[in-house]
Amino acid sequence: MSRPRLVVVQDPPAVHVVDPPEEPIVTHDPVTLRPSLVRRHVTWARVTIGACLMVIVSVATFLRLYGLDRVGFNSDEAVYAGQAASIAHVKELTPFFPIYRAHPLLFQALLSVFYRFEVSDFIGRLLAVLFGLATVVLGYSLGRALYGRRAGLATAAILALMPYHVITSRQALLDITETFFATLALYALVRYGTSKKSMWLYASGAALGLTFLSKETGIVLVAAAVCFLALSPDVPARSRDLIGSLFVFIGITVAYPLSIALGGATTTGRSFFVWQLLRRPNHSLFFYFGTALPAIGLLVIVVALAGLVLHRRARSWRETLLLSWILVPLVFFTLWPVKGFQYLLPIAPAVAALAARTLSRLPLRRGVPVPKILLSALLLTTIGGTLLVSSWSRIEPTTGTVLLAGSGGLPGGRESGDWLRSNVAPDARLLALGPSMANVLQFYGNRKVWGLSVSTNSLHRNPVYQPLPNPDVAIRRGEIQYLVWDAYSADRSPKFATQLLKYVNRFHGRVVHAESVKSGNKVTPVITIYAVRP
Amino acid sequence: MNRVICFLSVVLVWAGLLTSPAGAASTASSTKTPIKHFVTLMQENHSFDNYFGTFPGANGIPPTACMPKDRRGLPSGCIKPFSIGGRASENLPDSRAVFNNQYARGAMDGFVSALSARAVTADLTMAHYDESDISYYWDVARQYVLFDNYFSSASGGSLWNHMFWMTGTPGNPKAEKVPAGGFGSLPTIFDRLNAKGVSWKVYIQNYKPAETFRVKGPEPAQVIRAPILAFARFVDDPRLSAHVVPLDDYYSDLAKGTLPAVSYVVPSGPSEHPPGRVQSGEAFVGNVVTALKSSTAWPSSAFMWSYDDWGGWYDHASPPKNADGFGLGFRVPALLVSPYAKRGVVDHTQLEHTSMLKFIETNWGLPALGTRDAGANDLRSAFDFGQPPRPPQLLSSEAPSPNVVSGKSAIIYPAYGGAVLVALAFLGVAAFRTRRRKRRAAA
Repeated sequence: MSRPRLVVVQDPPAVHVVDPPEEPIVTHDPVTLRPSLVRRHVTWARVTIGACLMVIVSVATFLRLYGLDRVGFNSDEAVYAGQAASIAHVKELTPFFPIYRAHPLLFQALLSVFYRFEVSDFIGRLLAVLFGLATVVLGYSLGRALYGRRAGLATAAILALMPYHVITSRQALLDITETFFATLALYALVRYGTSKKSMWLYASGAALGLTFLSKETGIVLVAAAVCFLALSPDVPARSRDLIGSLFVFIGITVAYPLSIALGGATTTGRSFFVWQLLRRPNHSLFFYFGTALPAIGLLVIVVALAGLVLHRRARSWRETLLLSWILVPLVFFTLWPVKGFQYLLPIAPAVAALAARTLSRLPLRRGVPVPKILLSALLLTTIGGTLLVSSWSRIEPTTGTVLLAGSGGLPGGRESGDWLRSNVAPDARLLALGPSMANVLQFYGNRKVWGLSVSTNSLHRNPVYQPLPNPDVAIRRGEIQYLVWDAYSADRSPKFATQLLKYVNRFHGRVVHAESVKSGNKVTPVITIYAVRP
Repeated sequence: MNRVICFLSVVLVWAGLLTSPAGAASTASSTKTPIKHFVTLMQENHSFDNYFGTFPGANGIPPTACMPKDRRGLPSGCIKPFSIGGRASENLPDSRAVFNNQYARGAMDGFVSALSARAVTADLTMAHYDESDISYYWDVARQYVLFDNYFSSASGGSLWNHMFWMTGTPGNPKAEKVPAGGFGSLPTIFDRLNAKGVSWKVYIQNYKPAETFRVKGPEPAQVIRAPILAFARFVDDPRLSAHVVPLDDYYSDLAKGTLPAVSYVVPSGPSEHPPGRVQSGEAFVGNVVTALKSSTAWPSSAFMWSYDDWGGWYDHASPPKNADGFGLGFRVPALLVSPYAKRGVVDHTQLEHTSMLKFIETNWGLPALGTRDAGANDLRSAFDFGQPPRPPQLLSSEAPSPNVVSGKSAIIYPAYGGAVLVALAFLGVAAFRTRRRKRRAAA
């Protein structure tokens, strides 16, 4: 009597050009296979996958939660958390943070629900962590839908360990929510590609709508989706469905202008739009090549590219989709004058999926003594190791005086704000070097802080910031009682740092509080608060 | 025998402790109220109605007020009080003769006519400032205590009133000038404080130690504003003159936490004396108060400032007569800032400059200087010592406001929540259909 034969096909062969099935297929000999054996194997596969995914999520959770609130908010985090507090009508913060600023308010609105009970930086970051972990899990689904379960696991693992994703999801920023919904939109497009069911095209439009509501730069991904559909004749889309999904997208994104109009902030919104268009470049053209791409992981990028080269004959609409998802934002944000470290985060899952594709389809010839799965695991471990080391080093608070916006918390900011709240009169007014430090001190200190570098020319300043036309006179009149110098702003704008220290000398500046960072035996002052008087 | 020796030893030790300087200091530092630091400042030449005549809740300018241009009954009409707006201020006469003419034997109708004969714009006396001119003072009045029944002590000018502020007497009753040899042995509040071992200082803005009563010619303004410099002992004795210091020391004492128990602050340029700019004086007062509020002394302090005399400006309240023949003068503004001050109260208690002396004497257990301070009301009605000390408010209305247009938040939850629900519905339907299709295929 022959034994029952079970064949589990997990991935299509590397050289196949045809689409892999949506789910792994269990085939069996209908005559000889016992149902209990099939169930056992399916269960075993599920348990293995589940266990692997649990390990990945656990590591991702640890990396994202470890020392989460050791350092307080940076400027952007303070602004978003402040907006959330204003939405929640927290009276201590409402005077400093207008609800309507540059960006849509999905993340802030979600955070405001928690802020109705308690305002804390930990809660803000925890929400970001949850979106980050959800993206890791979604990364598994994306990889699996594209290239099978093994690739799904590799995608999730790379995302879990990727420094770019780790450090961004440890901050209360909009980009992490944007990335989650962008990944959801990408997943929906993949499902459309595999099933050709128009409902998934509508779903991708809906997810892109939420991406936009998280951060308006998500609209770039609409161009990426259009680019994909235009370049992929094997994924046809009917005009009716295209227009329909566009309407879904618009219908969802209309929440942004609608809330601005009904919230009485139309002028504010318009001012921001004009300002964003006319802003001067804040970084060099190839800023992302020196910051974001290394944070994604050079080895990850190399592996992803290697897969594209090695499997060039096996190229399908999947790679077109992923490349569109990566290249359109990369080109756009490289050319766009305003740059931010975390702006490219939505492309991270696509890069991870491409790298996972390579890892799950190593082009080994027959006769190679090493099993394919072992080699894949070895490569994945190597990549994971480098990512882990890099992530670990980056989640440590900076001990220098240079802080790239969006790359982490601001050492000393929370402590200085807490000191202000405990020791300075509630209606005291301060002058900091720039609006970044002002935001942080206003969030933690609940005191009005002006920024010396805020231009009196309305074309050269964020519309929400008010300039202090004549700081000298303001100090002479006693309207400003404290000056705040900080090393991070001083590094970016030495001219204003010199000006502020002139005021310190001119108006009998006396140090009343100082914060410093310690690196080995070296202690570097980062924030100094001076009391001044005419 | 041993018990007797032990008893005597204990008695001697206690006696030693009680007579030691430390013991004296502990006695001196004890106060009858939680106020451990009293700071007082005297600005110049404004009447109550001139600054707070339109302040809500205060005994301000009567609606029917109209001052005749001529008191002799000629049909020349009258002048109603008016907001000074952008008009320049002038140094109106404020001598005793002018006071008498304006007082008009209690008729209080000579404010314009008394000035008509002099080389000033007579109608200016009826001008008044309001919130837009002195917003900081009005803010203080709204948050702390404004006195609307506070009179200058003498129906004369600066020197007499400053003397009442420091000594409780006019100093030289014959004429409003410093005698050639100074004020001799006339007791001052500083003598009382010294005798009790209570710390004190006089902080003088732009202090010039050489400018004392010994300067030839008219008295320097510094001596009029700080008559302590017209006492030989406070000029010559280094132990006493060390208490008279530049205003910079006030800020450094606050920073070091060494503010004395009693501080007199004497302004220089920004005293608000017309035609000086009122806002400069306001900023000066604001800075001095802010420094106190920003210091560790704040929780146990009180800051009071007033104006030496009415400066020729109209005030409608007839001043009560005093037995010593020197007053009272017309009402002047007076405000109290303290963590124990009542919040936003207009205090109607009748007070004068010696009321501050009375408070110091009562608080630190000092004997009165004379009949005037002994009979004056003190400031207790303005305090509420039952309340916990209030946190400081710096109050700087002139500063640009945060001007945050927060926008309405009511629309946010429906708009964004609706968008999320719609999006989830699309995704859910897509997922559900796919799953159903698979199940059908499997079946």
